[in-house]
Parts: sequence; C-alpha cells; structure tokens
Amino acid sequence: MNTRTRRSILAGAPAAFGLAGLILSACGGDAGESAAPAAPSTGGAAKGAPVKIGASVSTTGSNGKTGQYQVEAYQLWAEQINARGGLLGRPVEMVILDDQSDPTVGTKLYEKLINEDKVDLVLGPYSSGVTQAVSTVTEKYKYPMLSAGASASDIWKRNYKYVFGVYSVAESYFYGVIDLAKKNGLKTIAIINEDTVFPKATAAGTAEYARKEGFRIVFQEQYPTKVTDLSSLITKLKAAKPEVLVGGSYQPDSVLITRQAKELDLNVKMLAFSVGAAMPEFGEGLGKDADFIFGPSMWEPSLKTKGNSEFEASYKKKWNRDPDYHSATGFAGGQILEAAVLKAKSLDREKIREALSTLETDTVLPGKYKVDDTGTQLSHIPVVIQWQGKDKPVIGPDAMATAKPKFPMPEWKGR
Amino acid sequence: MVTLVQVVVSGLLLGGVYALLAGGLTLIFGVMRVINLAHGEFLMLGAYASFFLFARLGLNPILSLFLSMPLMFGVGWIAQRVLISRVVRAPLLTSLLLTYGVSLALTGGAQATFTNDFRSVPFLSGALNIGELAFSVPRLVACVTALVLTGAAQFFLSRTRWGKALRATAQSADVALACGIDIDRARMIAFGIATALAGAAGTLTSFLYTVYPEMGKTFMLKAFAVIVLGGMGSFPGAFLGALVLGVIESTASYVTTTQIAEAVIYITLLAMLLLRPQGFFGVKEA
Repeated sequence: MNTRTRRSILAGAPAAFGLAGLILSACGGDAGESAAPAAPSTGGAAKGAPVKIGASVSTTGSNGKTGQYQVEAYQLWAEQINARGGLLGRPVEMVILDDQSDPTVGTKLYEKLINEDKVDLVLGPYSSGVTQAVSTVTEKYKYPMLSAGASASDIWKRNYKYVFGVYSVAESYFYGVIDLAKKNGLKTIAIINEDTVFPKATAAGTAEYARKEGFRIVFQEQYPTKVTDLSSLITKLKAAKPEVLVGGSYQPDSVLITRQAKELDLNVKMLAFSVGAAMPEFGEGLGKDADFIFGPSMWEPSLKTKGNSEFEASYKKKWNRDPDYHSATGFAGGQILEAAVLKAKSLDREKIREALSTLETDTVLPGKYKVDDTGTQLSHIPVVIQWQGKDKPVIGPDAMATAKPKFPMPEWKGR
Repeated sequence: MVTLVQVVVSGLLLGGVYALLAGGLTLIFGVMRVINLAHGEFLMLGAYASFFLFARLGLNPILSLFLSMPLMFGVGWIAQRVLISRVVRAPLLTSLLLTYGVSLALTGGAQATFTNDFRSVPFLSGALNIGELAFSVPRLVACVTALVLTGAAQFFLSRTRWGKALRATAQSADVALACGIDIDRARMIAFGIATALAGAAGTLTSFLYTVYPEMGKTFMLKAFAVIVLGGMGSFPGAFLGALVLGVIESTASYVTTTQIAEAVIYITLLAMLLLRPQGFFGVKEA
C-alpha cells in the first residue's frame, strides 16, 4: 500500500514540475493592487472637495525602478499645485496604484480608478506596453490621458481621441545618434531590441531612419524580455562587423549587452542604448565600461528649460535623490494637465480634451508641448547623452550640448 | 567552426550556473518530495548578500561566499524547521502553495527593504582570448566556482555519514527512521545545503547579471527544465542536465534567434517528459 502511494506520487512528479513552471509564469502579476501611498498633501489656500487624479504606475515588476521616478514626480507636482492654491481652487488628491509592470493589471486598475475610486481625471502609466493597453479603458470612458511614461507611436495610430503624447515618439529616439554616426562617416549599423512594445518601436524607427540616411543594416534581431544570456547573439554580431550598434533596451539588458560585448570582445565605433543608458544606475553598474556609450534622453538636469532648476532642486529635497528623465516626463504630464484645466476653466473632461488638443505650453522638458490631430507629440526635442567618466553630459543637439562627443569608442582590449 | 566552438563554450559556461541552482532544487525534491518554488528567491537573497558586501565593504564576491553560504545554510535550516517540515508528508499541492507563498513574501520583502533599484556588482569583466576564441572571464570564474561547489556537495552526499543519512532519507524515510537516522535533522541539513547552493548561485549571477527583487523567477524556469532533463531528485543528473540545457540554449540562439531558443528549451522539456520522463539519471519507476 505504502509503495503504491509513493509510486503514484512519483508518476505525478513530472507533471507537477510542469505545473510549477506554469504557476511561476502565470503568477507574474495578477495578484492585484498594492496601493502606493498617495500624497494628499494639504497646503496653501486650496478649499473644498479635492480633485481626485488617478494613475496606475509600475512600481514593482520589471519596470518598477523606472516607474518609481514617475510616481515621485506625480506626487511632487500634486504637492506643489496644492501649495499654489490647488486646481481651480480645489486641492488635488493623487490616487496612485501599482500595475506590477503588467498591462492586464493596468487595465483593471484604470477600470477601478474610474468606476470605484471615481477619480475626476487621470494621468498615464509607465511603459508603452501598459499605456497602449490602458488607453483602451480611458478611451471607453472618455477620460483624456497624458501619456507621461510612454512613447511608442502605435499608441496614436488607432484614431483614439483621448490620449496625448508628452514626449517624442519612440521611433525618433536614435535620430540624434544616427546623425552623429553619419557626420563621422560611418556606414553600417546593427540593431537589436527586446521584443516588447517600446523597444520594438524604437528599433523600427531607427532602422527606417538609418536606411533613409544611407546606412546599411548588417544585422537585426530581437531577444525576449528577462533574457539572461546573449552570448550567441553577440557572437553573431561579431561576425556581422557593424560600425554602430544600437540597442532598443531597458536597464538590465543594456547592462548585459555591454558586459557580454566586452567578454566576447565585440568592438564597435559607436554603441547606444535606449532607456538604460540614460539612467544613473547604468554608470554605477558598469563602472568604466559605461564610457563612450550614447543614449537618448528626454530631459537632463543641465537643460535651461522653464522652471527646470527649481524642479530639480525641489525633487531632490522631497525625495532625497536626483530626478531621472522619467521624473521629468511625469512632472511635465502634471504641468500640461494643469495648463489644460486652466485653459478649459473647468473639470469637464470634454473641455479638457479640447484644450489638450490645441494647447501649446512650456514644461520642464526641452521643446514645447504641442500635439497633432492624432495626439502625437510634435514639439518635444530629445537630446543625446554620452557617458564620459562619471558624468553623462548632453552632446547633442548642438544648441543644448554641454560637452563634445568622444568618438570613436576604443577597442575593449586597450581600455 | 571557430564560432560553433565559441557557441558551445558559451553554453557550457552558462550551464555551470544553472547546475548550481538546479542542484539544490533537485536535492530538496529528492529528500523531501517538495518542489521548492521559493528557490529562486533564495538565489535573489544570495545575490543581495554579495551585492551589499561588495558595495559596503568592497568584499570580493567569491570570497563573500564564505560568509553568505553559512548564512544561507542557516536560512534554509530555519525555513525547513519552521515551515517546510509541516508539509513534507502532505499532498504535493500543499507544499507548492506553501513555497509559492514563501516566494511571494520574500519578493515583496525584498522590494520593501532593498527597493526595486537595479543593482550590479562591477566585479571582473572582459575576455580571455585563446586564438580566435574568447572566454568570458566572469562566466569562466562563475562556472569553475559552480563546478567546485557542486563537486563538494556531491562528495558530501556520497562519502560522508550525514550525506548517506540524507540519501537514506530520500530512499525511504520510514526505513531510515527505523535504522536510527534522525530524519528531521537530515531534512534540515538537506534544505540548508540546497539554500546555500542557491545563495551561491545568486552570488555568481550578481556579477553576471543585474540584481533586483524579482530576478529569481527568471532563473527558476530554467532550473525546472534542467531538473526534468537530468532526472528529478538526481544530483549528478541536474549537473548534466544543466550543461546540456546551456549548450542547447546557446546553440539554438546562434542558429535561430534568442526568441526561438526560449521555445526550443521548452520543446526539449516537453519531448523529454514524453519520451523519457525519468530524465537522464532518474530511476525508472516500474
């Protein structure tokens, strides 16, 4: 009897391992809503019932790190607007939830914000994948949404009327890098990217622009999210011998690519990454190996945009760390929403939508806020940064540059 | 030809780290028939231990193993004593639920304590070039360390008194008990060793990859595949399975793309379950 029980347990064991795998992959993020602390800071002369502004941002999961910057910026903006006397004289109360970097969770949370928490207005989530998903919800309920953490142009290719871009579309992130490569007489490029919405859009836009500028694309491939080893991909890249390597990436994969490029001695003249390279942790994690690497940035502290130094100082004071560009785009989202409400002179969402589609205003970001008929952002100007020592100065466009680009990237062996 | 050798070498180096993680997982399953879903979180804890020792004290990650492994052994010992011992004889689903709960708690705890910041340990980088071949120095060091630790664990299991007690408990807890073996202690030792091995795998991944609270899950799926390949409960099987999986992964990535390689891994897993469910070294249950 005893042996039989054991045997049947063992027979079930392989299936159990499969089940275990399934649980692991499926439970990535349906556990729901851990409400991040909202900041109903009271101050100034704001009176009356609060204006509830809802957002769900990834503060856990693979994009949790980046999303946290956006949440901090939303809360800083709310605090400042309350200190100024609130929105139309009423205090602002932020309702911020966490979608765990999962688009499905994000859609549920925006349903909850609108139907259960009965928020008056919303601000956008972080990452293009989540924004694309939740915009179906905000569109359904006719809530205008500023996409303060997303830029894949697909978001604005669906004839939606209620979603507005805050910064440049993902497709244009590497234009500055390619211009620089062209100026230095380079001819071949390789593009690799994570197979999710934003990196895909970045890669597609880069490929199209590079072709137009006369580059030959010698290698192009995608890799899955949460990849742990890219040695085979790097080996193939080595054989393709590109002069420029562009990675449509987030933080962990851009660090992994750089490390493995060095380990397998892949040398290029220019190396650039989206998102990862602009984050301070990129330099901390790679040390000297981060040098010479380029990255697009939507904002930098050195820029002389309106209110920028005040924004940086107050952010540092409140959160005790430097803002990242994702903080600035989040803050700009708040600034634009405020400008639109003032223009509409009401919390009527139709009027705010009207205002957002015609508004032209300054934010802490370089350029202006101005969208076309589809809601795509037109007037924001992305900059290019390069790691030089422990800093990442702006090296383009020329009008905003604080340092000269260092070119080419030396071979790993001689460094 | 050179590139093919390069790809196989990369795969073997990758497999070394998988072996360390899967070894502990299979040990727990062998001795207790418990599938430990929190194993990846123990890897994460080990990675954080090495990160903080490196960032605060400048301690070499390999040397930090001498501190972190005994610490993780203690963590495993306590986990077994307080939690896992309650479900050892329960149906498989009970222990799955328990360890999944532990996994969630550890991930959440790490998010609250360590934040979601991506951490890296800038330790070792670059390549060792032999002719046209490039050997990744950090991966080489990680793989050799993993080999040494796996070898030591295997030695312990096959040659020492407590190792034999562990294997006896794995074969039949009742008979082991009748022979005077303290099976509760044997189980605590097994869980402790497995946790220490997972922690060591975490240390090795800390300088290969990025450290963050959810890193464990990424590696766990691979560890399950390794165990199915190698044969559940078989320590040497896990080792061979890990190397095979590493080579399959890197070769498939080279021949096709990294995306398709992920699918190839799981197709291999399915094929193994269908054709040889006991794995390379598992004993066929008659």
